[in-house]
Amino acid sequence: MVGWEYPPFKAGGLATHCYGLTRSLADKNSKVYFFMPRTKQRPSSDKKNLKIIEVGEIDIFPYDRPDSKEIEGGFYEAVYKYNDLVTAKVKNSIKKEGKFDVIHCHDWLTMKAGIQIKEETGTPLVLTIHSTEYDRSGWLYPNQWFIDIEQEGMEKADRIIAVSHFTKRVIVDKYGINPDKISVVHNAVYPIPENQKQDIVLFLGRLTIQKGAEFFLNAAGKVLDYEPGTRFVVGGSGDMMPQLINQAVNMGISDRVIFTGRMTEDEVKHIYGISSVYVMPSVSEPFGITALEAISAGTPTIASKTAGFSEAFKNCLRVDFWDVDEMANKIISLLRYDPLHRTLAEEGKREINLFTWDRVADKTMQVYNEVT
Amino acid sequence: MTSVCMYFEVHQPMRLNRFSVFNIGCDNDPYNHYFDEKLNKEIFEKVARKCYIPTNNLLLNLINQYDGKFRISYSLTGTFIEYCEKYLPEVIDSFKELFKTGAVDLIEETYFHSLSSLYDDLSEFEDQVKMHNQMIKRIFNYEPKVFRNTEAIFDNRIAGKVAEMGYKGIITEGTEKILNWRSPNHLYKPVNSDIKVLLRNYTLSDDVGFRFSAKGWKGYPLTADKYVDWMSQCQGDIVNLFMDYETFGEHQWTETGIFDFLSHLPGKVLNQKYLDFVTVSEAVERYNAIGEIDVPWAISWADEDRDVSTWLGNDMQLACFNELKNIGRKIKESGREDLLHTWRLLQTSDHLYYVSTKGLEDGDVHAYFSHYDGPYDGFINYMNILQDLKQKLK
Repeated sequence: MVGWEYPPFKAGGLATHCYGLTRSLADKNSKVYFFMPRTKQRPSSDKKNLKIIEVGEIDIFPYDRPDSKEIEGGFYEAVYKYNDLVTAKVKNSIKKEGKFDVIHCHDWLTMKAGIQIKEETGTPLVLTIHSTEYDRSGWLYPNQWFIDIEQEGMEKADRIIAVSHFTKRVIVDKYGINPDKISVVHNAVYPIPENQKQDIVLFLGRLTIQKGAEFFLNAAGKVLDYEPGTRFVVGGSGDMMPQLINQAVNMGISDRVIFTGRMTEDEVKHIYGISSVYVMPSVSEPFGITALEAISAGTPTIASKTAGFSEAFKNCLRVDFWDVDEMANKIISLLRYDPLHRTLAEEGKREINLFTWDRVADKTMQVYNEVT
Repeated sequence: MTSVCMYFEVHQPMRLNRFSVFNIGCDNDPYNHYFDEKLNKEIFEKVARKCYIPTNNLLLNLINQYDGKFRISYSLTGTFIEYCEKYLPEVIDSFKELFKTGAVDLIEETYFHSLSSLYDDLSEFEDQVKMHNQMIKRIFNYEPKVFRNTEAIFDNRIAGKVAEMGYKGIITEGTEKILNWRSPNHLYKPVNSDIKVLLRNYTLSDDVGFRFSAKGWKGYPLTADKYVDWMSQCQGDIVNLFMDYETFGEHQWTETGIFDFLSHLPGKVLNQKYLDFVTVSEAVERYNAIGEIDVPWAISWADEDRDVSTWLGNDMQLACFNELKNIGRKIKESGREDLLHTWRLLQTSDHLYYVSTKGLEDGDVHAYFSHYDGPYDGFINYMNILQDLKQKLK
C-alpha cells in the first residue's frame, strides 16, 4: 500500500483511513507493506503482518495541497520524487521477495507510483479516492494539472474505491470512469471518549475553502443573538485563518469564538469530548471522518447535506452548507431542547458501532479479491 | 356463515410549515403560520386524484352492481373533512352518494385523529369525539354506533369510556398480545365494560395494505380468487379487513393492479356460499362476544410493536406530548378560545409519528409518510411551533 501520511503525522482523513485500514487488514492475516514519506515522527507498527516503510529524506507538507505559492513548486517536486523512490523500492522488493498480490494507492499523491508499478510489473492496481481536485478547490477553480494526474490514475486502476456515493458520482461524471469498476466503502472511526459537556459549538478542519468555516461563523453570529452564552471553537489551521479571524472581528463576535490553530491528537480528543454540537459545513466533502469522531464522543452533529457522511449516517442533522439560518436554527435547537440532544447523542453512539475499520477492511478485501 | 367486514380509515393531517427558532415569538396568526397550506393542498389534491375519487367511484359502482350486498364502512377524520370542504367539496358529495346506498356505514372517532385518549383526563377526548359526532350528523344526518380510536389505539380505560358514551362497538388490532392463542375472527368484550370489540385480522389486512405489490412475498401476485380462497378457509364469525383508504391508488399505485383486485373482490366473495359482507354496525348487531379481552396497556395497529411507541417511543416524542398537554391546560384555563382549534390541529397524531426514531423496517414506512428529512427535523419544527404557541399564552 502506498500512502502519504500516517499517525502520529496526520493532517486529514487520509492518515486516519490508512491507519485503520492497514491495522485491520493485518488483523485479518493479510501481509501489508505500507510505504510513506519519511517524517520526523517515526510511525511504527506493533503488528508483525504490518510493515511501515519510510521512503526518502523529504519533509512532507500538511495534507495534499500546499497553502502558499512559495512552497508549491517544491511540493510538487517532492511528490514526484517520493513516487519515484517508492517505485524503485517496490521493484527492488519484488526482485528479492517475489510479487505483491495488489498495489493499493490513495489519492493523486501516490498515483504515479501505482501506475508505474502496475505497468512495469503487472501488479493489479486498486485506487482509493478520498477526495478529488474538485472537492479540494470547493468546485471554484480546479487545477487541471491535478485533474490530469487523477484522470490517468483512475483510468489505469483495475478497481477504484470511493469513500461515498457522492464521490463515486464525481468520478463517473467528471472523470468519465465506468461505474462498474467503482466500489463505495464508507469510512470508520476508533471511538473517542465522551467528556463533561459544555456549551461549545465546534468546527474542526483545515481552514480552506473546501471546509466552509465562513458559514460556521455566519451561523455563530445568528446563534449568539439568541443564545449569547454560547462559545464557538474553530479548530485547525489553513490559508483562510487570517480572513476568518477578520470575519469574526467584523461581526463583533471575536470574544465568543476561539481559534485554536493546529491541535495535538490529545487536544482534538478533548475538544470533541466537551463540545455540545459539532458542525461540518463543508462545501464539498467526499466523506468527513470528523463527523464520525464527534458522534463517537457523544456530540450531535450537523453536517452538510452533500457530505458523504450524510448519505451514510442516519442519526445526524443535515443542512445545505450555505443555509446559515437553518444551521443556526439547528444549533439553537440542540442547545435548547435537551431531549433532542440526548436522543441524537444516544442513537448516534449506537449507530457509530456499525462504522468499524474491521468492516472497511472486509469490504476492501472483497475489492482485492476481484482483481487477483 | 362468515362475514367479511371491510373498513377504511380516511385521514389527512394538517402538515406543518417550516418554523425555525427565529419565528418563535414573532407576531403572527398561528393558523396561517403553522400549517403549510401549499404543501397540504398539493398532497390532498394528489391523493384525491389518485385514490379518493377513483376508489369512491369504483366502490359506488360495485355496491350498485351487487345490489347493496357489497357493504363497507368508513371513518372520516375531521381534518380530512376540513380539507374536502376547503379544496374539493365534490369528494364529500361522493361520500354522501355512497352513504345514500344504504350499504355504507360510518364510524366515530376523535375529530382530530389525536392521542387525546392517552391524556390523564379524558374530557378533551370526549370533546373531540363529540365534535366528530356533530360533524357526521351535519353532513350525513347519521349517528355512528361503532367507534374506532386513532390508529386503533385501545386499552381497558378507553374501552370503558367509549362504552359509557353509548357506543355499541369498538375497533382495535387483533394482536396476539391480547388474544394469545385465540382467533381475531370473533367479537370479544373488554373485561371492564359492556361493548363489543371488533379485531382487525392483520394478516389478511396487511396482505392487501402492505404486501400487495411486494414481489418477494410468497403470495405475490395476489388475485381476488386467491384472497377469497384464504378468507373462506378462515374459521369464525367475521373477518375484519381494516386498512388505510389510501391503500387504493396511493400506497399501492394503479399500476400494481390494486383496482382490478378490488373490483373483482365483491363478486368472488359473494360467489362463496358461506361468505357475505357486513358493515361494522351490522357486525355488532349480528354476532355475540365469545370471550373477554384484558388490555391494561395501550395497543394499536401501528408498526411491528403494535403499541403506542410509534408516537411516544422516544424522549423527543414524550417532550412534545407533554408540552402539548400543558399548553392545552393553559389555553383552557385562560379561556383563549381563539387558540383552541389550532392547538387541537397540533394534536393530530401524525406530528408525533414524524418524530419516531424506530429503525429498520418500520423506519422505512415512517420515512415514506414523512415530509421531513428525518425525525430530528420533525422534532425541531414541531417543538418550535409549540414554543411559539406557548408564548402566545403569556
